[in-house]
Amino acid sequence: MKRNSQLAFVSAFLALFVPHCAAAQFDTTWVADQSTLSYHMSHPMHEVDGTSHAARGKGVCHAGWCDFLIAVPVKTFDSGDTNRDLHMIEATRGAQFPMIVVRAHFAQVEIASRWIHADLEVQFAGQTAHYTQVPFERTQQGSEVRITGTIPLTCSDFKIERPSFLTVPIKNEIPVHVDITWRQQ
Amino acid sequence: MLSLSLRAGILTLSLFIPTLATAQNSARAQAPQQKPAPQPAAQQQTPPSQPELPNAPSPASSSSQEPSLSDLGFTPQQTQGNPKLQAKLNKRTEMLKIHQRLGLITLAPMAATLITGPMAKAKGRNGQIITEPSNANLDFHAALGGLTTALYFTTASYAIFAPKIPNNPKHGAIRFHEALAFVHGPGMIVTPILGYDAYKQENAGEKVHGIASFHGPVAIATVCAYGASIVAVSWPIHLKFWEK
Repeated sequence: MKRNSQLAFVSAFLALFVPHCAAAQFDTTWVADQSTLSYHMSHPMHEVDGTSHAARGKGVCHAGWCDFLIAVPVKTFDSGDTNRDLHMIEATRGAQFPMIVVRAHFAQVEIASRWIHADLEVQFAGQTAHYTQVPFERTQQGSEVRITGTIPLTCSDFKIERPSFLTVPIKNEIPVHVDITWRQQ
Repeated sequence: MLSLSLRAGILTLSLFIPTLATAQNSARAQAPQQKPAPQPAAQQQTPPSQPELPNAPSPASSSSQEPSLSDLGFTPQQTQGNPKLQAKLNKRTEMLKIHQRLGLITLAPMAATLITGPMAKAKGRNGQIITEPSNANLDFHAALGGLTTALYFTTASYAIFAPKIPNNPKHGAIRFHEALAFVHGPGMIVTPILGYDAYKQENAGEKVHGIASFHGPVAIATVCAYGASIVAVSWPIHLKFWEK
């Protein structure tokens, strides 16, 4: 009698917890280890790249989908000239809206493939823009994963008045190159 | 009794394991089967969901699983907007835009003053009657110099009085631009003084002599420093106007 009830208890325990453990293994959490974000600005007289290494990120994969959050302070972008950087902060309303926040959403099956196609929501300069199926290349580096890609931002997407030099405005396109190394927690 | 307990156990297993496995499979099934061509496009623009915390996660899209800004460890000082600083930056940019425009405008009378300089120089040898320059040449050169000086100091005032941004150590081309101001700034003070001396000497029928004879070289050095200052702030110049 006692043996029977023990067997029943073990069966019930296994039935309840084993699947949960299996599912928990499939859920993953990622943290950005190193990051380089660079915007490129074009003007007939200038080609400028502003780079930040201050981005932080976290990603959670759960129930077949991955949600990644990357945030970087606007003021951390360095183009090699303080005056230009301050002008950039002014033009992008970076003091009022100090963070650029990117949310990426993609299918969990892609986390192991070479290319990840993510739907992005970008909050920048007090505006929100969405980009669909932005490709990112994934490279395994030991226990870490390096993700690189370009987000095709434009000034008009965020209602940024294009700065001008010698009365000629910069190009509308300000693509942001993303290079982030992630490690699994 | 044994069979009853075993049945209960098997029934429980059969209920839970397939449910969870199906959940996993359905999630995989929802994933796109084929990747579309990499053509990212802006979809729409929406104002920030929380105006007071513009960069806070949107509540509409957040769920308990999605990471939030607080998970990333940014301090409130980093994430909170600063409208006062934004207003200061706006004013600074506005003043520096005027500085830039006036600076370029100043270049025109400055160049003209430099070109008319030799025409205002006394010709002939000392002791001989000086027939050149004419009074018109001298006055025209002096007027251009006066206009250049007025425009120069107006231009400078827009940079000097533009709001300063604290905790912002300067680096890059702006340092050369500012350093060169220590050359053309004193030059723009000394050149008119020497020019006035030279003007008085020539009006008295004398060839320019003494310290006033440095009016020309000082003016040339000033214009060179001024030109270099414009180039420095524009550097690196990448001329490709033919590309759109």
